[in-house]
Amino acid sequence: MSARSVKRLNARGLAALFAGPPLLLAVSALYIYSRTYAKSSRLGIEMTPAAFESIIGRALPALAGMCVAAALTAIVSLVFQTVTQSRLLTPSMLGFDSVFVTTQTLLVFLFGSRSEMFANPYLNYLTAAGAMIAVSTLMYGAVLRRGRDNIVFLLMFGLVLSGILRSGSGYIQVIMDAEDFNRVRAATSVTVNNMNTDIILPVLPIMLFISAALLLRHRTYNVMSLGPEQAKSLGVPYEREANVSLLLIAAGMSVATALIGSLTFLGLLSVNAARELLKTHRHLPLFIGSAVIASLLLVSGQGAAELLQGALPVTAIIDLAGCSYMFYLILRENRL
Amino acid sequence: MIEICGLNQSYDRRGGYTLRDINLTIRERAVTALVGANGAGKSTLLGVIANIVRPLSGTVLLDGEDVRRIKASAAAKKLAFLKQTLRLGIRITVEELAEYGRFPHCGGRPRDADMEKIDDALRYMKLSELRGRYLDELSGGQRQRAFIAMILAQDTPYIFLDEPLNNLDIKHSVEMMKIVKRLVAELGKTVVIVLHDVNFAAAYADRVVAMKDGRIMSEGNPEEMITKDVLDRVFDHDFNIAEHGGRRVCLYY
Repeated sequence: MSARSVKRLNARGLAALFAGPPLLLAVSALYIYSRTYAKSSRLGIEMTPAAFESIIGRALPALAGMCVAAALTAIVSLVFQTVTQSRLLTPSMLGFDSVFVTTQTLLVFLFGSRSEMFANPYLNYLTAAGAMIAVSTLMYGAVLRRGRDNIVFLLMFGLVLSGILRSGSGYIQVIMDAEDFNRVRAATSVTVNNMNTDIILPVLPIMLFISAALLLRHRTYNVMSLGPEQAKSLGVPYEREANVSLLLIAAGMSVATALIGSLTFLGLLSVNAARELLKTHRHLPLFIGSAVIASLLLVSGQGAAELLQGALPVTAIIDLAGCSYMFYLILRENRL
Repeated sequence: MIEICGLNQSYDRRGGYTLRDINLTIRERAVTALVGANGAGKSTLLGVIANIVRPLSGTVLLDGEDVRRIKASAAAKKLAFLKQTLRLGIRITVEELAEYGRFPHCGGRPRDADMEKIDDALRYMKLSELRGRYLDELSGGQRQRAFIAMILAQDTPYIFLDEPLNNLDIKHSVEMMKIVKRLVAELGKTVVIVLHDVNFAAAYADRVVAMKDGRIMSEGNPEEMITKDVLDRVFDHDFNIAEHGGRRVCLYY
């Protein structure tokens, strides 16, 4: 960061800049503690250095995967809010979660839960991400070419699509046998146990690339937040930038959802928390702030879930908090 | 120099035209007012000239070059556009807004020269004391001035204003038009402005372009345009022209 951009940070931004890394370390420590010592004392087993090392070997990639996926979700959500000019929307509203759930359901229904297609992490991941990118490209291709007012149309399309997919996969899940159903449920909810640690490393570069591509455009996004006309008047080719952003959003959401499952409210919650905390409209601090908040939420939630022996799934915590926050936002925006 | 040749624009596919065969040359270092009834195509024409709206056919020549062939950032150094409603989805200060005016020049990384331009623009609009205030804390007139400061920081020879008087009271409307006149007289800008009130156009514009149903009905100096004959035709309304202090005023109620 240059001297001028540091000077531009307000007191809150500086405080957040210094509070972020220690907090991240703290929740990571909580997560590792809950997977190692808390678990061993609960089960009455002594924690040997060898056992500790083998657990760490699995916990660290999981931790990295969670952090990067959560950060990517936050970044993608912020860009989506800028492009749609609304702070109440998230890309989940385009139906990505339901595409993911549908792919998993269909894979199990068509090939069986023991088949290569579902059980092989690479094949499963590639199918899910491919389906999501295909659906989003199709959606953008069909909708964006129409030109005017496409965002509202896009959202309507996403809403209808996710409705159809949800009820469709719900129906298939009902007629499945119990074992298949349980496997689908396990695959579509985030726990570290089913987050494929083998797939994290190959996927990390993709996620980092998408994050970097979006982060580097932060100055353009600042201008785009003034609105399409004003952005065009200031020399930003608005339609082109919006299209590129939407494609990157689709790619990012599919990678993140396939890796950590569907987290409808994580993006909304972290982006708006960052806005409230940092009190700025500039995208660079918001990107960093919301990425850190999303990682904190996910890792601490997962740590708490491990401590509670999975009695309270992390998705439930985040969705409950996100849902209440969304209500608060809608009520407040209506009053203003 | 801006020349508009054979411009057509349409929003529906059944052949309804918003703009039809527009040919116009914008007079340099002058205020050109676009007047006409609602839906006459004033704002669309302004948007096309300012390179915000893509025309169906026809060209806008900026210094002899087709605007559409100029890079967006290069065009933004010559053309500045201010939209009708000045509501932003974000909460920013006056200074931050003015800084966005430098975006075509510095790409969001303001250097010292850019900061000087921003200071000049704020001082010119008498906003130096308010520079740290948020836009939503300002009055309508002050907010309008903040947006003009952004456009001044953009430092373009051409300025396009879409109904800038829309949400202003009488006092601030007059103040706004005086600012526009000063931009031309002191800074040598060329201003094209969409106005609803014919009397404002008559009093402050150097050229008046009257539009109806997507066509230019007539254009000329205010003295030629503020006549019962022209106005009745443009607005489909019975006008009365009065004289006050040697200037024509139209009464339409």
